[in-house]
Amino acid sequence: MSVAPARALPSSPPVSRLAARGGLKAGERRVGWIFMVPALVAFTAVILWPFISALGLAFTRYDLRTPEPIFIGLANFRAILASPQILGSFVTTFVFVTLATVFTVAVALAWALILNQSFRGRALLRTATLIPWVLPATVAAFVWAWIFNSRFGVLNAALLSMGIIDLPQAWLSTSAGAMTAVVITKVWISVPVTTTFFLAGLQSMDREQIDAARVDGASDWHVLRDHIMPHLRPVLLVVLVLAVIGNLQQFDKIFALTGGGPVRATTVLSIEVYRLAFDSWDIGMAAAVGLLWVATIVPPAFLYLRHLLKDA
Amino acid sequence: MATLQLSGVCKSFGTTPVLHDIDLDIGEGEFVVFVGPSGCGKSTLLRLICGLDTIDSGTLTIDGEIVNDVPPAKRGIAMVFQSYALYPHMSVASNMGYALRLAGTPKAEIERRVEAAANVLRLGPLLKRKPRQLSGGQRQRVAIGRAIVREPNVFLFDEPLSNLDAALRVDMRAEIAALKQRLGTTMIYVTHDQIEAMTLADRIVVMNAGRIEQVGSPLELYRRPANRVVARFIGSPRMNLLPGALVGDPAAAEIGVRPEHVRLAGVGHGLAGTVRMVEHLGSDLFAHVEIAGVEERVVARLDGGREVHVGEAVSISVDADTSHRFDAQGKRMAPAHNDRRTA
Repeated sequence: MSVAPARALPSSPPVSRLAARGGLKAGERRVGWIFMVPALVAFTAVILWPFISALGLAFTRYDLRTPEPIFIGLANFRAILASPQILGSFVTTFVFVTLATVFTVAVALAWALILNQSFRGRALLRTATLIPWVLPATVAAFVWAWIFNSRFGVLNAALLSMGIIDLPQAWLSTSAGAMTAVVITKVWISVPVTTTFFLAGLQSMDREQIDAARVDGASDWHVLRDHIMPHLRPVLLVVLVLAVIGNLQQFDKIFALTGGGPVRATTVLSIEVYRLAFDSWDIGMAAAVGLLWVATIVPPAFLYLRHLLKDA
Repeated sequence: MATLQLSGVCKSFGTTPVLHDIDLDIGEGEFVVFVGPSGCGKSTLLRLICGLDTIDSGTLTIDGEIVNDVPPAKRGIAMVFQSYALYPHMSVASNMGYALRLAGTPKAEIERRVEAAANVLRLGPLLKRKPRQLSGGQRQRVAIGRAIVREPNVFLFDEPLSNLDAALRVDMRAEIAALKQRLGTTMIYVTHDQIEAMTLADRIVVMNAGRIEQVGSPLELYRRPANRVVARFIGSPRMNLLPGALVGDPAAAEIGVRPEHVRLAGVGHGLAGTVRMVEHLGSDLFAHVEIAGVEERVVARLDGGREVHVGEAVSISVDADTSHRFDAQGKRMAPAHNDRRTA
């Protein structure tokens, strides 16, 4: 019996390290770089160069008395460490970001669970949920400023009519009231998009899994804890990281609602940088605080990018 | 084991009625299969029995107790879902023991019962794996194991084999049949696959458009279908229907003939026709014959060794004692007394 000689398989082209991520084959990288050039030029011009310039300013004295930046090393950072006001704005930022993130995620999750049920008018409610999101941020802030207004705000009117308070309260004139107001405003604006994330996650869930859990004896709480939350975990991670980044960057709503007051009660890092740069015209200090501000955003951004690349 | 009675059960979704006045008694340890075309209400009926949907009117009784308002977990029922519905973030062992954990069963008892079920279903080496690490057949066995662990009085199966490939389906069908023998528990099984129904069932419930058309043993339904719906649904290839007048029985609107009862002969021995398609299955041969005046081609099941060619002119004939008579409403009629029908 003769045996046919084994035919050599056609050799496949060498594969680059990026192939595991669906990247380019060897020999195609040069073409890839050519395609990337326009994006790299635009990125360098509008993001990288301004960022590096600002980074450089953080190590200079550059204010109304110094027409040109003067290199002073780490002096700005030492000044920051010695300034209770600026350190206070880090604490304020931490409080604001924590409260706004936790309440946004909690309210959006609860709202998504409601909107995921079958009931008459669900489509209308889902559409109406997006209204806060389509409003311009400053308009939303002024709406809430009016709601919290001590003299003619609807919050006071409602609480007075229900007998919960005896006298109108100046909500935006106390530290706790102002922080509460900015957190509520931010949560109100952020809930629609966050709800959409959760709703998308819920709709991708196998309904039969919930049915199976019911047959196994799961209560509503068990279904939420043992099935819905594990299913939503990837969505929750993305939502948390995006919310932290968005809240760390928050400026317009807080500025429109309280201007950072009363007495710095809502002066988060973004407001601090704005004041240093455009009230005090201390660009060097503003850049130094800005650099630290960016540093606070890096860890959540890193987590987010790692999550994205892991799934890519 | 449990008995189960459905009395006058109705169900609508919005304004659309889905089930009409369902009456059915299921005995202890019986294996009952619901069959019917897609959308006939068989899965809805299963969900009502399970308690996942509410009954609009009528009563569901399990072991003499009306359970219309009893939650699913308290009915003593376990269900195997079409998509398996395994919990993706839990291991096989956790999936199987979940119901017991919720019921507050001691950990040692959970482990014992999970292990026992795993041994029955040959899942022992897979207990620590996640569902995504299992093949389709293994997932199916885990879904069955999850039901077994609860030691229910009634098993419900909702098209459990429909996501498996043909070879695996045959294997799993055999496993379910073995399980039925071993456990002896009352089982209700939904399928649109009549081979599953015929091979597994003690009794088959044929449903159509939200109504029960006929209940009976597989052979009873095959041999004495109550109407043309049942006649056409049970049997593969399905029963041929010929106009009564064409085969010499004008009293009947239609005459039904199983493919194996169609006689094929040379021209001049019955209804004249032409062979349009031939399917060789090895042991059998299906000849599809076009006959003037008959809407669908008549299928004849012949011996696999027989020579039949496409385009060949043939005649077909049918025997009165193997054919079924249906009136204009599609209901079964008593047999006629002439002994052979031909053209």
